[in-house]
Amino acid sequence: MASELTCQELVELVTEFVEGTLSGSELERFEQHLVYCGPCTAHVEQMRETIRVTGALREDDLDPAVADELLEAFRGWREGQP
Amino acid sequence: MARGPAVTAYKFLRAGRVGPFSGFQWPVDAWVESDARVPCYAGIHACRTGDLPFWLMDELWEIELGGDVADGARKLVADCGRLVRRIESWDAAAASEFASACLERVRTLASRQPAAEGHLADLESWAPRAGAVAVASLAARAYEASGGAEAYDAERAAQSEWLVARLGLGAAGGEPRAQRT
Amino acid sequence: MLAMPETEAPMPEESVASRDDVALVAALRAGDEAAFTELVGRYGALMLRVARLYVPTRAIAEEVVQETWLGVLRGIGRFEGRSSLKTWVFRILTNTAQTRGAREGRTLPFSALAQRELDNDEASVDPDRFIPQGERWAGYWASSPRRFDDLPESRLASAETFAAVKHAIDELPEVQRAVITMRDIAGFTAEDVCETLALSQGNQRVLLHRARTKVRQALERHLGEGVA
Repeated sequence: MASELTCQELVELVTEFVEGTLSGSELERFEQHLVYCGPCTAHVEQMRETIRVTGALREDDLDPAVADELLEAFRGWREGQP
Repeated sequence: MARGPAVTAYKFLRAGRVGPFSGFQWPVDAWVESDARVPCYAGIHACRTGDLPFWLMDELWEIELGGDVADGARKLVADCGRLVRRIESWDAAAASEFASACLERVRTLASRQPAAEGHLADLESWAPRAGAVAVASLAARAYEASGGAEAYDAERAAQSEWLVARLGLGAAGGEPRAQRT
Repeated sequence: MLAMPETEAPMPEESVASRDDVALVAALRAGDEAAFTELVGRYGALMLRVARLYVPTRAIAEEVVQETWLGVLRGIGRFEGRSSLKTWVFRILTNTAQTRGAREGRTLPFSALAQRELDNDEASVDPDRFIPQGERWAGYWASSPRRFDDLPESRLASAETFAAVKHAIDELPEVQRAVITMRDIAGFTAEDVCETLALSQGNQRVLLHRARTKVRQALERHLGEGVA
């Protein structure tokens, strides 16, 4: 095993790093590389931003016709309740 | 809090006593406990003298570790820690001298092994803009390219010895314990 | 003594019904229309997106969602709060969608499709971005990636950026699309996704990694405009 991760090896581990599933020694090597490597730090930041932007995706509003149908279904269900 | 005898070690932090990965700002002279969410790794991290070259950052502190202390491959891991004093001798000037010393050793290597001349040339062009920790890694890799793992380890040991001498550091980490990997 | 957060690991999601959940369920049981409208507004569009992972058309996905809401109402008397309301609703959804998907000819389960996707070896980042094998600093970045958070928020949060991300997700292979949708859009835990899609933890992680790296690449291209 080489003494240190290369950048090309590190990028394969980014998701495990962010998920918190790297083992103790893997995590140590990962962090040790980040301390000196600006480009890899930028890459990890890109991944974090990607996750953030994905999480910020807002779905289109529900079609009003569909919302109406659902409300009808709700009233129908409510009627049938004891 | 401490279960065994307190252990003295060193800790690098970003400017303003900030942890590089947690973003946590350390208080001075107050015990800090780790929030143990990740098993086998959770804990306060600190350096033995041999670990110093891997973690060079803006600020160097002497830290007292308490509770269970375990040896990682390139760090100590402890239940809690307390920053004792800043090592003022680690400053921008010292970092610059450190980088020059690394470069000097790579020059020595290249004079013995012409295959390392390319590494030396690259390092000489990068060193002015690269941080000390990057120069340390690149120098160690240059040695590794020429002489394998042994040479890598020897260069890292030389880097550690330089820091201990230049910064006037005492021993750190206490007696070795079982490795926690 | 101060407690220091040690790592990046995300906080585990709420796994039981919150007070808000409990209040909403009580209101639904009492026939409160506003509560129902609130619930539909909160999850409806996301449910459509998740249903769409299982069935061939949007129209069928809409039917699945309708059916799910009926199932929610019929079952609301049995909800015990041992999971969050969201988890419970989406469990009904994925079961409904799975059944409907099978009827529509989806015969391969996600786990089988996953194997196909995993059998392809993929590099997370184009190897051209790194110094090649055999050279002095092989494996190092040839040029540095640019941080996204250096860009103004207006660019990151623009409609075009979201469209680029949506498009990248829509283009993903099926299981990668399902995993990233459920994890990063719908906010489910890794455990939930593994259970729902019948994936091992390891495979879920690999597929999530591949999905995220493709979206990252699309985002980099969209934001980069000329940067390698």
